Amino acid sequence: MVVSEPSAERYELRDPDVRLMLEVRDDSATAFEELMLRYQNRLVTVLEHLIGARDQAEDLAQEVFLRVYRARKRYVPDAKFSTWLFTIANNVASNARRSRSRRREVNMAGAESGSHGAPGLDQLALTASGLMPTRQLDKAEMRDIVRLAIESLNERQRMAVLLSKFENMSYADIAVAMELSPEAIKSLLSRARLNLKEVLQPYLDRGQGPAAE
Amino acid sequence: MMMNDESIPDAERRDLDEQLVSYLDGELDAAASSQVEHALSQDARVRNELQQLERCWYLLDELPRQEVDESFTRSTVEMIAVRAEEELAVEKDDLPKRRRHAWMLAGGTCLVAAIAGFFAVSRFNDRENRKLLEDLPLVENLDQYRQVEDVAFLRALQAKNLLPGEADNAP
Repeated sequence: MVVSEPSAERYELRDPDVRLMLEVRDDSATAFEELMLRYQNRLVTVLEHLIGARDQAEDLAQEVFLRVYRARKRYVPDAKFSTWLFTIANNVASNARRSRSRRREVNMAGAESGSHGAPGLDQLALTASGLMPTRQLDKAEMRDIVRLAIESLNERQRMAVLLSKFENMSYADIAVAMELSPEAIKSLLSRARLNLKEVLQPYLDRGQGPAAE
Repeated sequence: MMMNDESIPDAERRDLDEQLVSYLDGELDAAASSQVEHALSQDARVRNELQQLERCWYLLDELPRQEVDESFTRSTVEMIAVRAEEELAVEKDDLPKRRRHAWMLAGGTCLVAAIAGFFAVSRFNDRENRKLLEDLPLVENLDQYRQVEDVAFLRALQAKNLLPGEADNAP
């Protein structure tokens, strides 16, 4: 993809991480380590909530950094650095999911409902409405409920939600990272948040907000 | 806008939900935001829907943010250092091959140039030689032709195959 000179310059001026990556392009080990330190926690956070397993998330995060390193000579800033990084992360996660499917390992929710692994959306909503505890849920329990709600989303909805929530990405940046249109992201996030509401609202209706620890 | 009114077509409800989510995310332009705000001011159910969406979104703050330890950073840097060494080793291995290829390419280019030059010169020489061959009878008998001053007379002799050389070669 040909990036116009003013566009590349604009990203270089506005984004300090782009400037760091340009130093990595010139083989600066210090710059690469700095980028790692800035992004490793963020990357593992998104990947861990995406795939549901910490150790796999770390493996995938390392793969992402390796790809960043390998791509350094061809790097041309055509987006914010974080958008470029999470584009790679999205591809790495998708490839990993495809490999797992081929190996018939099912650890995560894939479909909207009735999938293996995490409970489907309808099941979760039923559980939430039918089994209202009489006491306030503690923070750990609420966290588990929220995790299950996230896992009930399909992978694209989950990725869009995580990038929006944890990375505060705009629809335009999420679209670039996920290689979809901004309109598609708008629709994806809308469906995802309605799904989350369906699961979590019963807890909120009964006053089951996050309790103090 | 009536949120729970089943008479609202699904498509319209979906559209409204999308607008509410986009509004919460700050993704609507001024005109669209104004429309949503008008709907919020007019309909309590729209306000309720927006509030529920917002509260559920805040619940995601319960999800923990991960922190990696030093061993992750170290192992990642080591993995990349190993990869860098492998790349360098491959490049070094390739270097003699690349040099061989470069020499072969240079040699091939010279050969092609030499062959093209040979043919070019050959064609030129062939033309020149052909011309000489054509003119040979004239050259061989030039002294005799010089004694005849009239070209038309020479042509008449040629027409009757009476010129020296041509007569010898006549079938």
